[in-house]
Amino acid sequence: MFRSLQDHNRDRVTLTINGQQVAAREGQTVWSAMAVSGQVETRKAALSGDARSAYCAMGVCFECMVNIDGLPNQQACLRRVSEGMNVTTQHIAEDSEASDAGL
Amino acid sequence: MQAFDCAIVGAGPAGMSAAIVLARAGVQVAVLDRAPRAGGQVFRSAANSPVPDVAALGSDYSSGAALISRFEESGAAHFAGADAWHLGDDGRILFSHEGDTRELRCREMLLCPGAMERPMPIPGWTKPGVMTAGAAQVMLKSDAVVAEGAVFAGSGPLLYLIVAQYLRLGVPVAALVDTTPRRHYFDAAPQMFRALGHIRQLSKGLSLLREIRASGVAVHQFAERLEVIGGNKAEGVRFVATGKHHEIAADTVFLHHGVQPNLNMTRAMDLDHHWNPEQMCWQVSVDDFGQSSIAHVSVAGDSAGIVGADGAQAAGRLVALNILNRLGHLSQVERDQKADKDLSYLSSLKPFRRFIDCLYHPTDALRLPRDPETLVCRCEEQSLDDLRKGFEQGARDPNALKSLTRCGMGPCQGRQCGHVVAGLLAKWRGENPETVGYYRLRSPQRLLTLDELSRYGAVQAEAAE
Repeated sequence: MFRSLQDHNRDRVTLTINGQQVAAREGQTVWSAMAVSGQVETRKAALSGDARSAYCAMGVCFECMVNIDGLPNQQACLRRVSEGMNVTTQHIAEDSEASDAGL
Repeated sequence: MQAFDCAIVGAGPAGMSAAIVLARAGVQVAVLDRAPRAGGQVFRSAANSPVPDVAALGSDYSSGAALISRFEESGAAHFAGADAWHLGDDGRILFSHEGDTRELRCREMLLCPGAMERPMPIPGWTKPGVMTAGAAQVMLKSDAVVAEGAVFAGSGPLLYLIVAQYLRLGVPVAALVDTTPRRHYFDAAPQMFRALGHIRQLSKGLSLLREIRASGVAVHQFAERLEVIGGNKAEGVRFVATGKHHEIAADTVFLHHGVQPNLNMTRAMDLDHHWNPEQMCWQVSVDDFGQSSIAHVSVAGDSAGIVGADGAQAAGRLVALNILNRLGHLSQVERDQKADKDLSYLSSLKPFRRFIDCLYHPTDALRLPRDPETLVCRCEEQSLDDLRKGFEQGARDPNALKSLTRCGMGPCQGRQCGHVVAGLLAKWRGENPETVGYYRLRSPQRLLTLDELSRYGAVQAEAAE
């Protein structure tokens, strides 16, 4: 169980993680906001579909790749939360097709 | 494009220390670092800690704040949030900054990519809830986030440090499972006398262990056959210690058995590397002043061999002196005079380092997978069995195995599996890792969108002043 040691409610932003409204501290990493809210599954492995989660928390394992505001492959441990951000567990399988909408 | 005299990649202890020396000498220096604030991994958020009781993290950590402010006042052009993804031997650096693509040029390049934790491919290491001890440190330092009731398993100073930090902060710890083999204590004993010159560090390490013992947290020594148990997430660990089988329930497991140089950047530049048998890892080959096989590219800090934060600061200052000499700001005699103190300090660290390397020498049981089903390449989901089959089909070196199995081809670009794959091939071939080699890496070193590439701009040295 992850928890924050901070007891104050200053500098709060609200984001959505897999449909759940989550309060986080401004400047906090997306990964730690996910961890504190109990949503640790960042992505599904591409071949097996097995659940994965952050391993290194410093940008070298690429396990914490999530979808942020529609953009996939975002490293949750390196990205910072912002007001209204929408984070979802990434599910890209071998047969997934990228959309060219908006290009 | 107006070039910088020197560009430094990485604002940890080595990069900051080098930048301070260079900037004070009037050199135009650019420092690129991925974090919002300088500090690197070891001094992450040391100047603006969100931890309410920051003293619990120890005085070594707090001392980073002074270095960070000296760096920030040095006049070096600091690009925070800059993620370098191409480093050319022509002095060209491409980096990602605030969602845009930026380019700068430099005459001298200093790489300080630091260290990362040695991957620990035990059964179950890919399950959600399994992280590294360094990850626990990162979450604590940058976000004041901790895991309650976690198991810490493995070996090495960083593991004991984070357990002690948790306990000081009143965070419950389920157990410390220590995998340091009994024989390492005997092997390291003769080295300890030579390391007595650094009695302060020695006693600091011992006091951490005493502190953990005194807290009453369960400590299991000499653990073997460590594995993570659980279904689609971690539910605990299982191991054998002093002849008994143990199982400890926990939803978070932090693993650690040492650190190794973060090679991605230096390998992609094709600098010469060599195998360090004491630290069981590849490192960049450099001279006493950090100069690599490409004369205008230097490396300082842990990526040229694990030296720790104090050693990295000394190495950073030495590299800076040599760069000042190369740029014509300092004669060689002046360089050597100014370098004397740091050179002796670094050489005095060696016996202490040797002791640590001997005591916490990574065991094959944790460094290499033993279970055929255990994933080695986490990205492309290649198991020990898959790699063994590739080897039997004739893939004798890391690049051949990569072509055949896709190991190392995922988004992490082999950062996690590189050392393991090279280690396995060395074992199977019965040869030295040096003969086996390493993955050939290329830019870009991060995931880029076409949209980001399209927003390109050059950074002039003048404009950055």
